[in-house]
Amino acid sequence: MKKAGVYLSGLLAPLLAFAAAFLDGTGTASTQNAVQPGKSFDVAFKEFTLKNGLRVILSEDHSAPTYSICVTYNVGSRDERPGRTGFAHLFEHMMFQGSDNVGKGEHFILVLNNGGSANGTTNADRTNYFQTLPANQLELGLFLEADRMRSLKINQANFDNQRQTVQEERRQSYDNRPYGKSYEAVIETAYDNFAYKHSTIGSMEDLNAAMVRDAAEFFHTYYAPNNAVLSLVGDFNTDVALRLVKKYFESISSQPPPPAVDTSEPEQKGERRKSMEDAFAQAPRIDIVYKVPPGNAPDSYALKIVGEVLSGGLSARLHQKLVKEREMALSVSAGPDERRGPSLFWISIMARPNVNLTELEGLVYKELDRIKVEPIGDWELDKIRMQVRRRQSQGFYSTRTRANTLGQYAVYYDDPSLINSMQVKLSQVTKADVQRVAATYLKETNRTVVTTLPKAKPASDQS
Amino acid sequence: MNGSRFSPFFAAIASAAALLLPLPHRIYGQDSPAPGMSKVERKNRAPISHDVLRVKLPKPVEAKLKNGLTVLIVEDHREPIVSVQLQITGAGALFDPPNLPGLAKITAEMLREGTKSRTSRQIAEESDKLGATLSAGSEFGSFVTTFRASGLSQNFDSWFSLALDVLLNPTFPADELEKIKQRLRVQLSQQRTAPNFLVDERFNRAVFGDHPAAIVSPTAESVAAMTTEALLRWHHERYAPQNAILGIAGDVRAADLIPKLEKQLAVWESSNRKDSFSARPLPASARKVYLIDRPNSVQTTIALGNIAIDRRSPDYVPMVVMNHILGGGPAARLFLNLREEKGYTYGVSSNFTARRYPGPWRAGGNMRTEVTAGALTEFFNEIRRIRDEKVSEAELADAKRAITARFALSLEQPTETLNFAIVQKVYGFPTDYWDSYPAQVMAVTSDDVQRVARKYLDPDTMQLVAVGDGRKIKSILEKYGPLDVYDSGGQPVRISSDKTTNQGPAILQQPNRK
Repeated sequence: MKKAGVYLSGLLAPLLAFAAAFLDGTGTASTQNAVQPGKSFDVAFKEFTLKNGLRVILSEDHSAPTYSICVTYNVGSRDERPGRTGFAHLFEHMMFQGSDNVGKGEHFILVLNNGGSANGTTNADRTNYFQTLPANQLELGLFLEADRMRSLKINQANFDNQRQTVQEERRQSYDNRPYGKSYEAVIETAYDNFAYKHSTIGSMEDLNAAMVRDAAEFFHTYYAPNNAVLSLVGDFNTDVALRLVKKYFESISSQPPPPAVDTSEPEQKGERRKSMEDAFAQAPRIDIVYKVPPGNAPDSYALKIVGEVLSGGLSARLHQKLVKEREMALSVSAGPDERRGPSLFWISIMARPNVNLTELEGLVYKELDRIKVEPIGDWELDKIRMQVRRRQSQGFYSTRTRANTLGQYAVYYDDPSLINSMQVKLSQVTKADVQRVAATYLKETNRTVVTTLPKAKPASDQS
Repeated sequence: MNGSRFSPFFAAIASAAALLLPLPHRIYGQDSPAPGMSKVERKNRAPISHDVLRVKLPKPVEAKLKNGLTVLIVEDHREPIVSVQLQITGAGALFDPPNLPGLAKITAEMLREGTKSRTSRQIAEESDKLGATLSAGSEFGSFVTTFRASGLSQNFDSWFSLALDVLLNPTFPADELEKIKQRLRVQLSQQRTAPNFLVDERFNRAVFGDHPAAIVSPTAESVAAMTTEALLRWHHERYAPQNAILGIAGDVRAADLIPKLEKQLAVWESSNRKDSFSARPLPASARKVYLIDRPNSVQTTIALGNIAIDRRSPDYVPMVVMNHILGGGPAARLFLNLREEKGYTYGVSSNFTARRYPGPWRAGGNMRTEVTAGALTEFFNEIRRIRDEKVSEAELADAKRAITARFALSLEQPTETLNFAIVQKVYGFPTDYWDSYPAQVMAVTSDDVQRVARKYLDPDTMQLVAVGDGRKIKSILEKYGPLDVYDSGGQPVRISSDKTTNQGPAILQQPNRK
């Protein structure tokens, strides 16, 4: 799923953001029964709930002199209404604009001057804020998150300033780069329900229309302790940390729960197609998506396996067929994005210029059909399990990855222990499950195809 | 993890500064609307531990194999995985023959496309089955080719021997080379649609001139000229163990591993090859402006700077501190001014590249077209300010604290520890280099900061590159110096401007050299 963040380090534009959920640290965790003697893969944590409803997850780990703090709010662009797209993310930027005891811009200054790093991100289903700091600055992270949860300061000048910043983020990540608008075209075509039909970055018109008084109401409604999860991972003593968490957070007032969002989608009855031109593109891109169940539904695990069979690693089927054997594509990726509601199984192909796109699309469907009728190989199942374990271990060196993952699973599915059980669930997927979910979901009537074509040059440019 | 980690090492770390002397009132460019009063503010009420957490970086186990290969091992048993990084000096893109830019890079990327005993597909399947990763590359401008592998510790022996087969016995099959060439041809055309590529290409050309570090990409001609024989020769001559460092981090036992490496790597024979590169780029001596016309662009991508220092320069640490204050991240002056106060951009920063030869200090970012003039004004205002005014003691102390306190975070990743060790080796620093580094940072004075800013950030000789809609920004850029205009294909062109009359033909010329 495409995320928008408060700050992008370096000058690079973000890469395509729908890579398989495995890759972003939110996907997987390993299991106790796969553990070598003497090694623990599990992320141990304790849970608490404060009197004001704030859910607290503490995971003590002294292996490095650092800790990460993450506050995950149960709000995202799915909570927006028509005419106000982009608001949840714009609001995320306002969380760095000062509160009672922290000046505008001082958040980054305090964190960075003490050796830490910080950021915030918004997607359709949640908004999170995180810091990694040296262990001796435990109180600083808690103070900063509590102060803005309690007493955010919003004024017109700062709101206008961040509106401009977000509009530049939109230009940089969407409007000024090749294929920047393909993502929005796909979700607008595939989804019927407004919740997921619009992008998190929002439209320029809606960003222009955003009003500062809406921000105050948004804060009041969604940024309450009972609508958030605080996760801490790293080098602290759990009792000490809990005492400090209570000191800083427990007196923040709870609020009535925000309105529930309906993300349900009517069943799709037929294929949808859209073709668009892109002035910056040099070669066609094809996006093929299928509507699939929410991120934690039983079938979602088998769909993750399907994605890996198709595009996980250079031995994967679509890479071998389209890139190596037929040389019709430059690259291909496939897999389900992870949403709390109806998700998309997303296949994206960067085609070679001048290839027959109908033939290319047909080759993809042939590979999908193969998965439906033939069991996948044992070696394919094995390789996925091995790859998932390695990626998870690589990710879990980082306290930030663990803190963010715990917070996300708590907000998404009310189940932070998924950080440890995800890999069990993946390992329980059978070859028959893989065939079944491919047949159930990856079918024509459930499909949306968006083709992005290089814009035809005016005659004068070609001479 | 990227290959350039060890050059601008600290410059790459997000950094901080507390600025906040009142800014002098300025007149804003005519294109930029007067901003609201969105001011950065410090309340100083947060509970902070005033100690900087002192951390000692773990020292890797070091060995030299009989074939001359240097081995560095960082044991870390937290996670059951191992990461391997091999850096081969003399095999980097900097040494590409002038007619074959990309040879080092393509040789590295082709390693896994076939060995004496395995096809491309077998390598892909085996490494995926083992849950391993294998990759290699050489960045343009780099002395080294870097080969990487990672995987689980439980099957380390299997994937490590696959990695060695790929490293030592590649055959660069002609049919696989042809496939890669086909893909590269498309990529060469696609990269010209990305403003970041266009700005890098022109900026490197502007600051490096004829130095080989000016090159940032293969060409259609060089791709066509690549042959299996050329790749084999490059591999045979330049992948030499006596010029390489093998770094291993993760769940291994050094004492067991070193004798095994001695055995497994015995077939990699040393040679007499020793490559050095003496050509040093000189800073451009006069201001020059380049516009890359990208019609339909809704932003202007800006880069400005000039050649500064190499990694062993005594000015390195003061430059780290100076850059930190000026543009090293979301608490630095450029970010606070151009984004937090003016709202011109999503991101703006500066960095510098310091390798075995001097590289550039550079600032830049993406600005909406309409505020191009205002953004350029502010870039130069900030450069003049750090040259003309001494940074306050508070701002300096904050920067030094940020840099030294950041060491704690690097202990989360064993590969970071390994990178520190590799930098120390590659540049021949004393073995206590990183232990004494915090003290070097703390010794930097505000005079040092001003001195390096004046020495390396000279507005009169800076090279300024802008990628954007030429009709709208040409007249703005012309005010900054002699202007050359190119199209996105890299060819000189003449364009007219919406605002002023045609300025006459653009002239293709190299910046003057000192």
